[in-house]
Amino acid sequence: MILLKYNYKRFFASVLTLAIISCSNPWDDREDNGDSNLDSNLTEAITNTTETTQFAELLVETGYDKVLAASKTYTVFVPTNAAMAAVSDAILDDPEALKQFVANHIALTAYSSERNEEETQIKMYSNKYLTFQGNTMIDDATIVTADQYAANGVFHIIDTPLIPKLNIWEYVNSVSESNQTAAYLLSLKAFNIYQSDSIGKVVSEENGAGYLADSLTNSYLRNVYNLNNEKNSYTFFLMEDDGYNAEVDKMKPYLIKTSIDPIVRDSTATYAQYFTLRDMAFHGKYELDELPATLVSRFGVEVPVDKTQIVEEIHLSNGIVYVMRKVDVPLEKRLLTTKIEGENNGPYFNFIRSRMFYRDRTDLSGLFFQDIFVQNPGSPLPWITYNAKDFYSTTYKVYWRAINDIQTNVFQQRLLIYGKSEVVNDATVFSQTIALFPYMNVELDNYEEVFIGEFTLGEAQDIDFISLVGANTGTNGNNSLTLDYLKFIPVIK
Amino acid sequence: MITTIKTKTTKSIVSILSVMTLLFSLGSCQDYLDVQPEDKLVGDQLYRDIYDADAAVIGVYGKFMALAEKHVILNEMRADLMTTTRNSTPYLKELSQHNVSAENPYISPKEFYEVIQNCNDILKNFDIMLADKKFTQSQYEQRYADVGCIRSWVYLQLGIHFGSVPYITEPIETLEDVQNISKYPRISFDQLIDKLVVFTESLTYKKLYDSQSSLVITVDTYNTAKFFINKECLLGDLNLWKGNYLAAASYYKNVLETSSNSANINELFDVYRLKGADVTTNNDLAVGYVRFSEQDARSLINNNTQGWRSIFPRERDATWNIEWIWSLPFDSDFAPANPFINIFSKNSGSYLAMPSQRAIDLWNSQRQQNDFPYDARGSKFTYNMVGDDPVIMKYLYKFEAANDQFKREGDWFLYRAAKLHLRYAEAANRDNQQKIAYALLNVGIYEAYRDGLTTSDDVTNVMQTKEPFPYDFDARNGEAPRFRGNWHRNVGIRGRARLTTVGAIGDDMITTENNIINEAALELAYEGNRWEDLVRIARRRNDPSFLADKIYEKLNKEGNAEAANVRTKLMNPSNWYLPFKW
Repeated sequence: MILLKYNYKRFFASVLTLAIISCSNPWDDREDNGDSNLDSNLTEAITNTTETTQFAELLVETGYDKVLAASKTYTVFVPTNAAMAAVSDAILDDPEALKQFVANHIALTAYSSERNEEETQIKMYSNKYLTFQGNTMIDDATIVTADQYAANGVFHIIDTPLIPKLNIWEYVNSVSESNQTAAYLLSLKAFNIYQSDSIGKVVSEENGAGYLADSLTNSYLRNVYNLNNEKNSYTFFLMEDDGYNAEVDKMKPYLIKTSIDPIVRDSTATYAQYFTLRDMAFHGKYELDELPATLVSRFGVEVPVDKTQIVEEIHLSNGIVYVMRKVDVPLEKRLLTTKIEGENNGPYFNFIRSRMFYRDRTDLSGLFFQDIFVQNPGSPLPWITYNAKDFYSTTYKVYWRAINDIQTNVFQQRLLIYGKSEVVNDATVFSQTIALFPYMNVELDNYEEVFIGEFTLGEAQDIDFISLVGANTGTNGNNSLTLDYLKFIPVIK
Repeated sequence: MITTIKTKTTKSIVSILSVMTLLFSLGSCQDYLDVQPEDKLVGDQLYRDIYDADAAVIGVYGKFMALAEKHVILNEMRADLMTTTRNSTPYLKELSQHNVSAENPYISPKEFYEVIQNCNDILKNFDIMLADKKFTQSQYEQRYADVGCIRSWVYLQLGIHFGSVPYITEPIETLEDVQNISKYPRISFDQLIDKLVVFTESLTYKKLYDSQSSLVITVDTYNTAKFFINKECLLGDLNLWKGNYLAAASYYKNVLETSSNSANINELFDVYRLKGADVTTNNDLAVGYVRFSEQDARSLINNNTQGWRSIFPRERDATWNIEWIWSLPFDSDFAPANPFINIFSKNSGSYLAMPSQRAIDLWNSQRQQNDFPYDARGSKFTYNMVGDDPVIMKYLYKFEAANDQFKREGDWFLYRAAKLHLRYAEAANRDNQQKIAYALLNVGIYEAYRDGLTTSDDVTNVMQTKEPFPYDFDARNGEAPRFRGNWHRNVGIRGRARLTTVGAIGDDMITTENNIINEAALELAYEGNRWEDLVRIARRRNDPSFLADKIYEKLNKEGNAEAANVRTKLMNPSNWYLPFKW
């Protein structure tokens, strides 16, 4: 009996021990993974790190401490206390600037220093994009201590503060007092280079800044590149005044325009400036050592890059501005050939659609091309029109490539060029006759460009009715039309 | 006292309870707990009458449809016309580069054996049903042959992709045993083909279900007639693999003549005969342009109801019926779901596969009769550029026309007239009938055999092959005396595609065969035929380079550094086959 009791006691004791040992809370077990870093959020972790206490104070001051205590995931690049000494009072004393400064160190989602790609573009809370290079550099700051993690993200300690940079457009704004190029660019907010620019400006005016795209607010941003866009990067050549004026003067003879009110605005100068500057912006960020010998503008102009003319290199949030003494672009490169593809036609007359063929073809060397062919139009003078913008005030040499390959006979067609149309007595008539070229043979299987003639424009303008006209005969086979392309080559004065 | 009584009571209750428990636990081993479930069928309940047998047949097709994705991916991604995109998984890249890892889900033969197991089970039960006289001999033969052919089709695919596999024709206990080489030894691909030919030939019924069959009905707006495998096409294919070219041509020819006894003129002249363009209405399956605007690229007939493109998305109407021999629909109203939209669509799917540069170049090296420098079946129909990306469209037209993310209709394209003509031409060519192969490939029988005569001449002795079955074609078309041969509307594969001819009458066997396989690429791309075409020809010629060079060219054209290594690897035929593992 005593033995039994003793055994019971032993048994009871061991059960009790087991019960006590196993009596931990499984929920706590699940939470506690033995990593104390995960007990604090980013705000706490940054505050508790001795070398980053100053930045932690700024977090509190700007309210970002609340953001970094939230349950989203963030990356923070934290400048050391020593680095904070480099931050100017201008920033520290201005609440708005301070907020933007702090925001420029914080990004949504966690970016570890261990990543697959060599460079990562990170969008910061300041709406600026910074480049995370390899595992050591963010923008131009070096990471001293990487991958400090907390419950809601990761922070990296850096040796230089990430002071928010201007973007290219903001920079242009900031120098408009001292630089004629910049001043001119800003003037394109009010002035429309093309009539269609005004529509966008009205829309963006009505809906407030940022509607659709802020590129609508300025003719340059709309027609060239939106240099105010943080998401893309650009390279911009900003000429000093002498170089700029010399370049504009070079363009003036080719952009002669009648001024409506010469006292208010010299139209020739305005357009000469635009056509000079539209080739100064390039897509992509070219570092000094990456600059090629020639850059090609959006409009196809090859701009020679003379590095010896670089006065200053300014790194901005969406690219680089090179301040240049001058950018000398030869007129041969500057004045672009206008090429019109036959298949990109406008209105047509004296035949029905089914007589017009948009053809897919290869030339003799096997190169693919598309053209247009009108066959059996059923009436004399079949007529196809084209239009093109931005002709210079100069002489043009005109060529066509017209392929006559599905007929066995040579036929004739001609080119009639009218600048504009106007409505007279309810009928649309062509006005401003520019050139009426004679009928010319379209020889069989001729894949060469054929010289048509030349014409001279007194003013720079758009041409609305470049018309390809067939023979004045009803005989099918003789009144066909064909066109691969037209070329208008400007002549240097 | 009281205590004693209580104790006694407790004790007696305990002992009574114990005895009862013991009794119950012993007694419960009887089957009165084994209640038959009311919402499930078991064992012999499944096969009671003809309708149960029909349900079993439909069931096997449901299971079979689960192979659609694998069938297309294995036969196309491993071959030269399809390649991976930036979105493709590493597993697809492995297939494309012939470097598969063990965990690659596409290479598991398990789903194939699930269908086979299903077939074996049904076939066994059909035998029992017949013995028990639960359906007639004729009903038995039709259904047995159908399920038997599905099994042979699946085995042929297994052979093509895995080489040596176990050939199991009885239901087995557990599917995992298939992997057990000691229980189920594997036979070589050649032995497999032999067995498949013997088994499939031995089926007593080789036609389609008779039109009175309870399986040929309209269900959910789909007529079921072409859900079922065409047994003679399969027999043609098996004999083609085997090298019995005359037998293959004979089976194919039977299918070609499916409607030869039809009283309906259009059925008689059109079904499976590859007729040409209807130039006035464009209600056809040809590459066509608006009449008199044949030189206008923008007048190309490019919609879901007319022309070559409509082969894929068109309703199952009379014109659909002249092309399609076997096609299974995916419908968003019932399982299984359409896998192809996810694979191919860029805007509504994952865009996992696209045409290879080699395929694109192949189409663009053709010339149309209107001198356009391409094959419209390529960039206009089979794939389209969406943004800067080529997207395979054959499987997407139906879905895009519905314009509804939730209506994911589509089809598994299994056999159509163009494939039948190409396979027949392949067999005929190997049986020394190069001229017939040339005619079916290029311009049609009428054109190839008219000897300069036209419909206004006396055509009694031309426009026909004058050969015995299976090479007998009569394409006579004349007014005095009047002839309308059954084949007079045939224009050839390239004729229907409005292309200039390839090769010439008098070409040798190898040249002709090359042209046929090349044409199959242009016409049938992404319908799951390419890899098997390459393997079949490379085996037949005992020339691995026929296959290896094409894969090399695909990889090389996309700048893959492994191209040369892959070629070296594929020069060894044992590397054509996937590891048999799941």
